[in-house]
Amino acid sequence: MDRRDFIKLTAVTGTSATLASCGNSEHQLIRFVPDEDLVPGVAEWKPGVCPLCAAGCGLSVRVMEADVETVRNGQAGVVKMGVAKKLEGQAGHPISQGGLCARGQAAIQVTYHPDRLAHPLKRSGARGAGELKEVTWDEAIAELVGHLDALAAAQDQKSLAFLTRPRRGRRLALAAEFLNRFGAPAPVPFELFGEEVLRRANAISFGHEQLPTFDLARSRFVIAFGADFLGTWNSPVAQNAAYGAMRQGRPGQRGAFVQVESRMSLTGANADQWVPVKPGTDGVLALGLAHVMLSNKLRPADAAGRAGAAIDGWSGGLADYTPARVEQVTGVSAKRVDRLARELVELGPAVAMIGGAPLAHTNGLFHALAVNALNGLLGAVGQPGGVFFTPGFQPSVPGPQVPSPQALQNLSAKVLLVDDVNPVFGAPKAWKVREALAKIPFIASFSSFLDETSSLADLILPDHSFLESWVDSTPESGALEAVTTVAGPVMKPLYQTRATADVLIEVAGKLKSPIALPWKTAEEVAKSQPPAPSPQSPPAARSPERLALRKYSEPVFDGDAAQYPFHFLPYMSQQFGDGSTAHLPWLQEMPDPLTSAMWSSWVEINPQTAERLEIAQGDLVDITSPHGVVRAPAMIFPGVAPDVIAMPVGQGHETFTRYASNRGVNPIGILAPATDAETGALAWAATRVKIARAGGGNGSLIMFAGEMREHPHEHETR
Amino acid sequence: MPHKWGMAVDLDRCTGCGACVTACHAENNIPTVGPAQAARGRAMHWLRVERYWEGDFPDVRLTFRPVMCQHCDAAPCEPVCPTYASHHTDEGLNAQVYNRCIGTRYCANACPYSVRFFDFFNPQWPKPLHLQLNPDVSVREVGVMEKCTFCVQRIRAVEIDAKAEKRELKDGDVKPACVQGCSARALVFGDLNDPESEVSRLSRSPRGSKLLEDVGTLPKVTYLERQTQV
Repeated sequence: MDRRDFIKLTAVTGTSATLASCGNSEHQLIRFVPDEDLVPGVAEWKPGVCPLCAAGCGLSVRVMEADVETVRNGQAGVVKMGVAKKLEGQAGHPISQGGLCARGQAAIQVTYHPDRLAHPLKRSGARGAGELKEVTWDEAIAELVGHLDALAAAQDQKSLAFLTRPRRGRRLALAAEFLNRFGAPAPVPFELFGEEVLRRANAISFGHEQLPTFDLARSRFVIAFGADFLGTWNSPVAQNAAYGAMRQGRPGQRGAFVQVESRMSLTGANADQWVPVKPGTDGVLALGLAHVMLSNKLRPADAAGRAGAAIDGWSGGLADYTPARVEQVTGVSAKRVDRLARELVELGPAVAMIGGAPLAHTNGLFHALAVNALNGLLGAVGQPGGVFFTPGFQPSVPGPQVPSPQALQNLSAKVLLVDDVNPVFGAPKAWKVREALAKIPFIASFSSFLDETSSLADLILPDHSFLESWVDSTPESGALEAVTTVAGPVMKPLYQTRATADVLIEVAGKLKSPIALPWKTAEEVAKSQPPAPSPQSPPAARSPERLALRKYSEPVFDGDAAQYPFHFLPYMSQQFGDGSTAHLPWLQEMPDPLTSAMWSSWVEINPQTAERLEIAQGDLVDITSPHGVVRAPAMIFPGVAPDVIAMPVGQGHETFTRYASNRGVNPIGILAPATDAETGALAWAATRVKIARAGGGNGSLIMFAGEMREHPHEHETR
Repeated sequence: MPHKWGMAVDLDRCTGCGACVTACHAENNIPTVGPAQAARGRAMHWLRVERYWEGDFPDVRLTFRPVMCQHCDAAPCEPVCPTYASHHTDEGLNAQVYNRCIGTRYCANACPYSVRFFDFFNPQWPKPLHLQLNPDVSVREVGVMEKCTFCVQRIRAVEIDAKAEKRELKDGDVKPACVQGCSARALVFGDLNDPESEVSRLSRSPRGSKLLEDVGTLPKVTYLERQTQV
C-alpha cells in the first residue's frame, strides 16, 4: 500500500463513520472518495464537444480537483471531484483546430451558472407565474408517463409533439425514434436563423441538401454575400482558421476578399472591398458578375452545369443582368460590377459564399441559386479553394427542417415536449407561439434554465450540462472530410439532473405499452451510428420543381415604404447568437467587437440619417413596424446604409436568469411573419420600420470605449 | 541567456472576433463587474479589441486591433510605483505583485495604453461560478491594480515541466490563453531572444510596428499591419 492509497482509506473510514446515519453507505463513499485519480493542482485534459452552435467544435477540457458543494441522495455536503476549469479548442480537431470562439470560451458558464435548475420541477401556480415546486425524478417521470399513457389510452398518440433545435446529433435521432414508435409526428424543429433556404438551393444546384464548406485556405479571391462567416455564420472557428491561412499562410500570396451586404458585419470589416447593396438584391449582383464573365467569354457558360441551368436566361448569357441593370437594382455601379467580375476570374481560384440576410427575404432562394451558379461558373465546386460538401453527412431527422409559422401555430398537441429551444423568445410575436402553447394542456421541458418557453412548462426535467453527459456531433459543414466527435462526461453532475436521452429511454420503458428503443443508455445513443445512407437517388433528381427556371423577382417588404421608410435588419449577435447565450456573464460583459457595447441593446443608425432625424448617440429611439414597437438607445454606426436600421438579436429576455432578464429589447418581436416564397422559411430581413427619437439617453447604452470616432464633433462639422 | 517574452499580432489575420477577450477572462479569473459598474467605466478587460473607423458610408473601413499590456522594456508604469508592485522581471515581463500594491493607481495614470485595471471592489462569483476559477492564478481583492501578465502562470508551468524533463523550451511551447484560443492564428507568442522563433521572425517583418512607438516605451508587442488588396 502506498501513501496515496493509505490516505484514501483513512478518508473512507473517517467519512463512513461520520455519515453512518445517512443511508446507503455505498453512495456515501462516492461522495467523499473521488474515483478519479486526480492529484490536487495537476490538470487533466479531457475531450468534449461545444454545444452552443451547430458547428460542433471539438473541445479539450482542463479538469482539476475542487471542492463542490452539492446534494447527493438528499444529503448536502462537500464533494472533492474533478471539475472543468477551462475550455480550449482541441488541437488537431478538424473543425476547431485548437481554436475556439468567444461563445465557446464562455460555454463553461452554462455548467456553473448560478441559476441553473438543479432538480425536477413541477408547476404549482398559474402557468407562467413562476411557482414551481421541487419533485423527485420518480414523481416527474411518473407524471410524464401518465400523460403519455393517457394519450395512448385515448388512441390519440398523434397529439404528442416534440419541439427541438434542428439537426442536433444522435439525441435528436433518439427523440425521432421515440416519437415514431409511439405513433406521434416527427420532431418539430425551430431555429430563428435557420438555413433551410441555402440547403434547398444547394440541393437544386448541386444535389446536396446540406450547408457548404469552403476551402478558404487555398482560395485567392473570396466574395461573400451577407455571410458573416468570421462571426456567427456556419462554422466560424474553422472559417477563421482558414481565413487566417488565406491571408497570410502562403508566402507572397495573399488572398483577396470582398464582402457584399447592407450593414457592415464583423466579417465585412475584414474585407478589402466592402460593397453595400440594396436589401434583397444580392443575387442580381451575383448574376451581373456572371453576365460580365459570359459576355466577355472569361469563363465557359457550361462550367456552371446544373447550377447554371436553374437560372432563367443562363444559356442566353443572362441578358437581363447587364451591369447597367445591376446598378439600377442593387445600387452597385456598373463599372464596379465589371471590374469585380474580371478580378474574380483573373485572381482565381475564387469562391462565392452566401448566407444570413440575403436569404431572409421573400426571394431568398433566388439569391442562393444565383450565387451557386456563380460558383459553378467560377469552377469553384469541389475544386481547391472552392466550395465542398462534407461527405457522408446525414441529418438526424430526414425531411424539411423549416421552422414554419404553421408548424408552431398549429401545435394542436395535448402533450408537448420541449428540448433546448426557446420559440417564445425566438419567433416573431406575429406567429403567436405563446398563444399556441397556452392551449396545450401539458408541456414538459428538458431545459436547464427558466426561459420564456420553459417557464410555461408544467414539468421541467432538467438535462445535464454538456460537460456532465455524453455528447456527440456530426456537423454538416466545416471540414472537407466527415467528422464525428463523441465524448464522455468530463465531470460528475453537480446537481440532481439527468441526461435527456436517459429520461426518454426510461419513459419509453415505463409506458403501459413500453416502447422498445434500440439504445439502453445515453452513452449508447451518443456512440451509435446513423443508418447508412439509402442507395436511392440524391434528393436533386427527385422533384420536378427543380427543373423550374428561377429569375429575379423583387423582394416584398412588409410595411408601406412611405409610412415605414427603413429596412429593418436584425442580425445574429457575436456574443449571444440567437439569444440562447445571453445568460452568460462573460458574454454580457464582452464588448461587442464593432461597437464596444456591453450589457446593452442598441439600434444602429447611419450618421447622416441620425443627423437628419436629430438623433444623437445614446438617445432613446422608437423602432416601429406594422407588428409592434421596441425602444432602444441609438448607436450612430458608420457601416450601415442610410435606409437600413440594424439591431443585434439576443437581448430583451423577459425570463432568462439574473444576467439576461429584462435587459434590453428583443427585435424579433416586431418582425413581420413574412416567408421565403418557395421554402416557407422566415424572411427575417423583410420588415420595414419607422424610427423616431423618444428622448435623451437613460444610461442603458453601456460601452467599454468612448465614442465610435476619436473626434466625433470634428466629423459632424466636416 | 534568459528568455525575453514577446508577442506579435498579425492584423491581417485578426478578424476582431473577440475570442481572445473571453479566453483571457476564463484563464485569469478576471471578474465581471455588472452593468452598473461597467457604465461607470469599471469593466476589466486585460485584453480588448479596438476599432478604427475611417471614411463615410459607402466607402467606410473598419480595422480591429487587439490591445493588451505591451510589456514595455521602458515601462512608464514601473518607476512611478512607490512600492515596486509594478516591476520588470528577468524575462522582460512587466509584472505586478498584488501583495505589494497599495492602490495608488499611479501606474494606470502613467500607462499610455490604458491596459491597467483597478479593483474597485472584491470580485464576486455567485456559486457555483467560483468553480470556473483557475487555481493557478490568484484572485485579486479590492484596492489593487491588475493587468495582462502574458499568462505568466502558463510560462512558469511550461518552464517547470521542461526543467523536470531536463529539456530546453521549444518555440511554441508557451501559449497564453489569447494565443491558444485564436483560431485565425493572429497572435503569436514566444522568445524574442531566440532569433529563430516565430515571434522574432514576425517582429522583424516590414509590416511590423509598435503601438505609440514614439513615446519611447519599447513595447514587446509588434503589430503587423493589415494589408490591402493589390
